[in-house]
Amino acid sequence: MAEISFPLPDLGEGLIDATVLEWLVAVGDQVERNQPLVEVETTKSSLELPSPQAGKVLRIHGEPGDTINVGEDLIVFEVPDDTAGIVGTVPKEAAPKRRVRLSANLDED
Amino acid sequence: MENTVVEMSMQKALNRGLDELLTEDPRSMIFGEDVGGLGGVFRITDGLQAKHGSTRVYDTPLAESGILGMSIGLAMAGWHPIPEVQFDGFAYPAINQIVCQLGRMNYRSRGTLPMPVTLRVPSFGGIRAPEMHTESLESLFAHVPGLKVVSPSTPHQAYHLLKKSVLMPDPVMFMEPKSRYWQKGEVDTENPGDLEGSVIAREGRHLTLIAWGAMVARCLQVAELAEEDGISIEVLDLRWLKPIDAAGLAASVSKTKRAVVVHEGPRTAGLGAEVAQLVSESCFGVLKAPVERVTGFDVPYPSGDLEDEYIPNIDRILFGIQRVLEYRRG
Amino acid sequence: MTDAPRLEPHADELGTDELLKLYSLMVRTRQLDVAAIAWQRQGILPGYAPELGQEAAQVGSAYALDFARDFAFPTYREMGVALAAGVDMVEYMSTHKASWHGGLWNPAETHVAPIQAVVAGSVLHAVGWAHGQTVDGTGNVALTYFGDGASSQGDVHEAMNFASVYKAPVVFFTQNNGWAISVPTERQVAGGSVAARGAGYAIPSIQVDGNDVVAVVRAVRAAVEHGRAGNGPAMVEAMTYRRGPHSTSDDPGRYRSLDDERRDGGEDPLNRLEATLREAGALDDATVADISEQAGEFVEQVRLGVDALDARPGTEMFDFVFQEPTEALAAQAANWREESEHV
Repeated sequence: MAEISFPLPDLGEGLIDATVLEWLVAVGDQVERNQPLVEVETTKSSLELPSPQAGKVLRIHGEPGDTINVGEDLIVFEVPDDTAGIVGTVPKEAAPKRRVRLSANLDED
Repeated sequence: MENTVVEMSMQKALNRGLDELLTEDPRSMIFGEDVGGLGGVFRITDGLQAKHGSTRVYDTPLAESGILGMSIGLAMAGWHPIPEVQFDGFAYPAINQIVCQLGRMNYRSRGTLPMPVTLRVPSFGGIRAPEMHTESLESLFAHVPGLKVVSPSTPHQAYHLLKKSVLMPDPVMFMEPKSRYWQKGEVDTENPGDLEGSVIAREGRHLTLIAWGAMVARCLQVAELAEEDGISIEVLDLRWLKPIDAAGLAASVSKTKRAVVVHEGPRTAGLGAEVAQLVSESCFGVLKAPVERVTGFDVPYPSGDLEDEYIPNIDRILFGIQRVLEYRRG
Repeated sequence: MTDAPRLEPHADELGTDELLKLYSLMVRTRQLDVAAIAWQRQGILPGYAPELGQEAAQVGSAYALDFARDFAFPTYREMGVALAAGVDMVEYMSTHKASWHGGLWNPAETHVAPIQAVVAGSVLHAVGWAHGQTVDGTGNVALTYFGDGASSQGDVHEAMNFASVYKAPVVFFTQNNGWAISVPTERQVAGGSVAARGAGYAIPSIQVDGNDVVAVVRAVRAAVEHGRAGNGPAMVEAMTYRRGPHSTSDDPGRYRSLDDERRDGGEDPLNRLEATLREAGALDDATVADISEQAGEFVEQVRLGVDALDARPGTEMFDFVFQEPTEALAAQAANWREESEHV
C-alpha cells in the first residue's frame, strides 16, 4: 500500500492558511473522489473541500479550530500501490521460486 | 540520540528528498510533464507544487526535447534544474539535447557554463507497462561524454543519491527503478554512508553478482537461494554506472574469484560488457572463469505478458552462476 | 483563434551617430568576412561559414541588445553578431581555426553563447535562459538566432510554444537568407514565411527587410522592449540573402547561377547604409576611406592573432568534460600523457 497526502491548497489568491471547522470523514473511512472531506474557513470564505481521489483515510490533521498552513498535510490517504502510478502495475513481492539448483566442487578454492 | 531511521518507500524517499532540496537550495527547480498539480505520473513530486509554489515546481508542454533544452538555458542562468521525463523511453525524443548539448556545454564553453542538471528518468521494466515505458538506457547514457549516470536500488540510496546528484555541478542521469518505487525500506536521513562508487549489498565468498537498479533485489534473492546450496554469493550494487567503481569491482572479485553481471538491458554492448572488461583488467590472474553475463535479449522490450521471459529471472541468474562454477580451464 | 499579432517597429528613429557606429561595425564585419574566406584559401583556416550579405541583419540585431544584461545565442554563421557584441575576434575565429569547437571566448562574461554547430540546437537554451530571467525578475532578454533552414527543426516549434506558454522574454530572430545550403526557402518553409508562424503561438511577429539595418534595429528594439516589459516572446524575420556559399567547402554553382544571385541578392546592405549616410551629409569620401582603413588595420590584427593561435594543450581534451572529473577520465588522461605525442 502507498500513502498519498493531500496538502492544503491555496484556496484563494495568495492565502497562506485555513482553519478547520469540521471534519466530514474519519480515519479508516473509505472515501470516493469528490466526496466532501472537511469544512474549512479562510480569511475570504468558508468552504467544503472535495476529495481529490478515492482511498482510505489514514490520517487527518487539525482539530476543529486549528489552523493549517497552505502546503501542509491536511489528510493522508492509503491507496493500493498499483493505483499510485499512471500506467503499469506494481509487481507483487512473492516468495522467490526456482527450479535450478547449484552444485559445485569448491575444494580447489 | 534522535532516531533518524524511517521506514518508507522509494517513492516517498524521492519525494522527501526533492522537498528538502527545494527548501535547502533556492536555485533548484522541478519541471516536466504533469509534475505540478498531479505530482508526476509516479507521484514522485506529489504535493511539491502546493508547498513550494508554481515557479519552483511546474508543468511543461508535452515535449521532451523542449524540457531538456530549457534545462540547459536555465542552468546557464544559474538555476539547478531537476527535470523529469515520465518514462525512460521518453528520453529518446530528447536525445539530441542530451547528447549534443547537455553533455557538451561545459566542455564547449571551457568550463564557464556548468550544467548542474539532474534528469530524473523512471527506468527499467517489470510493471506491465505499454511500449517505450520500460527501457534500460544506462549504456546509452554512459557512452555519452560529459554525463554521469546513477541508479539507486533502495529507498535509502534513492534519498541520498538524489540529493547528492542535484548538488553536483555536472549533469546526472538519475535512473529510478520504477518497479521498486513502492517497496519500503529503512532510510537513515542523517547518515547517508559512503555515496561514492559501489556498495556491497551482501557479503559472500564464492562469487560476486554485480547488478544495479531493480536487479539488485533480485540478486539478493538469488544469493539467499544459493546459500541453501552451500554457495556463498556476494552482491555488489554498482550504483554509479558512470563513473563505474573499478576499484570496488576489483576488491570484490579478487576475493571471490568469480563474477556474474546482471542487467535488464539488451546484451550486446550493454553495460555488462564494460563491467566484464573492467573485472578482467583487474582480476584476470585470479579469475576461475570468464565473467558471465545474464541480461535482457537483443530484442525490443516485449509486452507485459512476456516481460518475465525477458528480464533476468532467478533461474537464468542461477544458470549463469552454475556455468561459472562449473568452468574449468583448458 | 486569435488574430495574428503584429510587432510594430520601435518608434524611435536612429540618430546619425548611431548610423555611423553601425556603418563602422558593418564595414569591419564585411572586411573580416572577406578576409576569412581568403584565409581559408591560404590554409590559415580549415573552413569558414561566410555571412556576406547578412551584415545588416547581424550587426543590427546585436546592436539592439544590451550585452551587459541580455544574452545572444548564435549559430555558426554569426560573426557580425559576435563582432558587434564585442567578442574578441581572434577568440571567435578560433572555432574556424579548429582550436576549440565553441570558440575560445568566455560566454558567461560576454553573454554570447558558444558557437552552435547543431542546426536549431540553442533555440531552446534561449527559452530556458529567458524563463530563468522571468523567475528572477531581471527584465533581461534572450535573443536566439536561427535560419530559414533551422525553422524546419522540431526544436524551433517546441521553443516557440514553450516561450509563449511561459511568456519568456525571447526574441526569435530568423535570418531568412534564401538558402539552406542548396535548398531554397520555397522548398524549405511551407507558407513562405517564418514570421507567419508566430501567429500560431500568439507571438507578435514582424518581417523586415534584412538588408536595411535601420529596419532591423527598430524591429529588434521593439521585440526587446516587448520582452523587457514582461510581455513574453516576439519574432523578427529579417529577409536577406546569402551572397556567398554556405561554407568554404560549398559550391553554389551546382544549385544556383550568377544570374540568380544578381537577381535575388537584393541591395547590398553596406552600400545601402553608405548611400543613406552620404545623402544625409554624414559621410564623405575621406570618412569612408578612413573607416575602411581602420577596419583593414583591425582585420590585420585579427589575422596576426589567428595565425599565432597554437593548438590548445591536449590536456584540455580532458580538463573541461566535467566540473568534477572522474577517476576513469583521469586515468585516460594519464595514459594519453604517457603514450601519445603531445601538442
